[in-house]
Amino acid sequence: MENKMGYNASFAEEVFRNVDSGDEIKMCMNCGVCAASCPLREHMDYPPRQIFSLIRAGKREEVLGSQSIMLCTSCYTCVVKCPRSIPVMDVMHGLAHYALKKGYTPRIEAARFGKEFWNQVYRRGRVDERDLAQRAYFAGGFWEGVKKILEFADVGIKLVLHRRMKLIPEKKIKGISTLRKMLDKAEMLDKGRSVQ
Amino acid sequence: MDKKTAVYICTGCGIGDALNVEQLLEEGTEEFTIDVSKDHPCLCGVEGVEVIKKDIADEGINTVIIGACSYRVNYDVFNFGPDVIVERVNLREQVAWVMPPEDENTQELAEDNLRMGCSKAKDTQLPEPFKAEEEYSKDVLVVGGGIAGMTAALETAKAGYKAILVEKEDKLGGFLGKMKQSVTMPYKELADTGAAEMIAAVEAEEKIKVYTSSTVEKISGGPGIFSVDIKNNGNAVNERAGAVVQATGWVPYDANKLDHLGYGKFKDVITNVEMEEMAAAGKITRPSDGSPVKNVLFIQCAGSRDPEHLPYCSSVCCLVSMKQATYVKEQDPEAVNYVLYKDVRTVGQAEDFYRKAQQDGNIFIRGAATEVGEAGGKLFVEADDELLGENVKIEDLDLVVLAVGMVPASKPAVTPRIKAPADAENADEEGMIEVLPDSGFFANSALNLAYRQGPELPTLKYGFPDSHFICFPYETRRTGIYSAGCVKRPMETAKALDDAAGAAMKAVQCSELTAVGKAVHPRSGDMTYPEFNMNRCTQCKRCTEECPFGAINEDEKANPLPNPTRCRRCGVCMGACPERIISFKNYSVGMIGNMIKSVNVPEEDEEKPRVICLICENDALPALDMAGIKRMKWSPYVRFVQMRCLGSMNLVWIADSLSRGIDGILLMGCRHGDDYQCHFVKGSELANTRLSKVSETLDRLALESERVKFVEVGITDYEKIPKIIDDFMETIEEVGPNPYKGW
Ligand code: SF4
Ligand code: SF4
Ligand code: SF4
Ligand code: SF4
Repeated sequence: MENKMGYNASFAEEVFRNVDSGDEIKMCMNCGVCAASCPLREHMDYPPRQIFSLIRAGKREEVLGSQSIMLCTSCYTCVVKCPRSIPVMDVMHGLAHYALKKGYTPRIEAARFGKEFWNQVYRRGRVDERDLAQRAYFAGGFWEGVKKILEFADVGIKLVLHRRMKLIPEKKIKGISTLRKMLDKAEMLDKGRSVQ
Repeated sequence: MDKKTAVYICTGCGIGDALNVEQLLEEGTEEFTIDVSKDHPCLCGVEGVEVIKKDIADEGINTVIIGACSYRVNYDVFNFGPDVIVERVNLREQVAWVMPPEDENTQELAEDNLRMGCSKAKDTQLPEPFKAEEEYSKDVLVVGGGIAGMTAALETAKAGYKAILVEKEDKLGGFLGKMKQSVTMPYKELADTGAAEMIAAVEAEEKIKVYTSSTVEKISGGPGIFSVDIKNNGNAVNERAGAVVQATGWVPYDANKLDHLGYGKFKDVITNVEMEEMAAAGKITRPSDGSPVKNVLFIQCAGSRDPEHLPYCSSVCCLVSMKQATYVKEQDPEAVNYVLYKDVRTVGQAEDFYRKAQQDGNIFIRGAATEVGEAGGKLFVEADDELLGENVKIEDLDLVVLAVGMVPASKPAVTPRIKAPADAENADEEGMIEVLPDSGFFANSALNLAYRQGPELPTLKYGFPDSHFICFPYETRRTGIYSAGCVKRPMETAKALDDAAGAAMKAVQCSELTAVGKAVHPRSGDMTYPEFNMNRCTQCKRCTEECPFGAINEDEKANPLPNPTRCRRCGVCMGACPERIISFKNYSVGMIGNMIKSVNVPEEDEEKPRVICLICENDALPALDMAGIKRMKWSPYVRFVQMRCLGSMNLVWIADSLSRGIDGILLMGCRHGDDYQCHFVKGSELANTRLSKVSETLDRLALESERVKFVEVGITDYEKIPKIIDDFMETIEEVGPNPYKGW
């Protein structure tokens, strides 16, 4: 039993103090409801519940380097379901943010996707599902893009049939300049926030 | 009493549509002297009741037979005072609602039911309540001066009664007095234990007489007439009491048995009780060198919920560890507490304190300790972390606290041994045998009852005094003696307060009922009691052995000596007595025998079998009623005979029935064994044991053993009743008619 993982409360303290909403996880009772309800759980290396266990155990690398914290889509299911009323989603975002500040690189696709998402909202005021997917797929090069497109062709066709995705490009929203001002302000606030 | 008997048949609730009432009144009462017989379309209505009352007033009727609904409803409507015998005959739930209307078999069933009712009414006498020769006391003796005992005494006083409080230590308080602080309602923060105030309140209350440094040397008599010998600082004192509350508390599980958790090996591994004492004394430090504590780990369920140690959950230690973690943080906010748990069990609102403990930043780890060791002067604990799925190591610990559970003070450290009876199989070389918890000779000395069945309360398997969590949480197997607090089951302070108040109220009730000759739960208010026709007693001792409540002692001549105030009126003694000399005014071997004899047994060629079902009135009969209310269907050939408890079943009924041509006997009683539901604890079990002897009877009559069957029926089992009956009828059909028909 070499290399036994040691519990060490210092990382937990670090999270409680420095991560946005970090001290909320004190109240987690490890019931696992968040993990069970998360639509992305299959894609996560550690579901939310386990992230919280890892924090208590002091596994700094595993937590800050995990993909899970970057994958959260803000669907809010966990927040609604948590019996301890923990804003799990906020904690996940808080952790993601903290990890980025601390120089941990998120998983490449998630980051690309996020960046493209932001760009589109900034440009048009809305997301063009087709364009977003295309850009995200092709960001890794032409062949990778083709491969991805074929892989998701089925889903794409269904989305079009159900009018969830348009083939013609989305138009800009009215008053885009006001939205941009808001987004600029948000970015500024975010940068100005005190982060260790 | 000269009987003047009237029969009333209600034709409402569908009874009139199902039956030929005229014929019923004629056939059903033929063999009996009936002075008045009437029917009424709504007997329970104002007019119907008026009819009966008028007959009582004008005709001098003193015995009323009512053929209508179940005895479990309208009992208040059909109550005509203490001087009128009322016998209820079920024509609704057991007949009109479940059998095909205007059918020959339905009609015969109703007629048999009426015959049985008439027969019972004929034999029933008005009860004459028991009155002891001694003067009754209504004082409550409370044994144990901890939180439960003090509360019981205070509540007794509040209710206007006197209490006698006996505590073995030199001051009141029990464990409550040794605690630093407590967590109790509303479970938000630590609170003062309140021990000092409570002790002061007890001492200031003039209705409470306190004996400290005292033990109960002997309790004789029974409810209402207990005589209590107390040894007070070496002096003998005698007190009289009407009822007793045993609140002798608990002891911690012996941590010396937990050496796998480092207890005894490392000085800094202590129990939660030692932690509490250290905190109460002042500062929490490392016992090894007195240095301050920075890192503390609590091991939950230390020995608890472990078949090798304490198999149950004590329900308090989770909360206690959180409380003690709070002490640590209060002493040093930078200190770190780890809580290694199996499940966190902070029951009910106590969950709020769990939230607080989390909010304080205590680290909860779900898993089991695999090793406790020492390295570099500090302790470490290795554990299987269930949530991480890894074995983890928590190092640098100053203190490890074992959350040990509660053992009832009644449980002996070593199981006592007694001289084995001659036929015992597992006796040792010296002819000694271990006492079962089920016996009055098992528990540690506390009450010293001068009862033939042993000096203490019989206990359940873990040593807690026998009580029933749902049906009778306060009652024990000794009438008028109630248990309260942690001796009954592990509980925290808030629960102990409630529990002690409940037990005190029960004790007061008991003295009051006893003083007027009435029974306590579950037959509360019953004024009959077993009477012994001693001339014919053969001193076989079955009644004394089988009485589940230790009510029967033995006199100098070895005759049974009943103590009626200890009696719960179950009738188990009546069922046990081979000489059939024990009877109640409204319940006796002869009476039930006559009821069974009044059932008409058709000739074999009529192809109408007859089955007698002896049914316990506590659970099985309500279930049968429920099945009736749900309009379920079953065979019309069964005749139900109501038992106080299946334990009152006397084998002679079975023999008599079978020799009269009854085709089968079905017995419905409560579940017995560890999870018993019997209202008299041992009744259904004893009935079942007695049945094993029925085979002799069957052999003698050359009858098939399938003709007699015992089934356990819970109060919620109504849905199963039709199937139980139909299955049995099928068996009876297979074995064929009883050849004794028509003899
Ligand atoms: S649902 Fe809430 S309490 Fe349960 S594991 Fe997730 S965060 Fe913890
Ligand atoms: S209260 Fe907690 S520590 Fe105590 S036995 Fe129950 S679960 Fe275990
Ligand atoms: S067996 Fe039942 S009825 Fe008989 S003395 Fe004991 S408690 Fe009373
Ligand atoms: S069971 Fe009957 S015969 Fe036997 S001792 Fe008791 S009263 Fe006497």
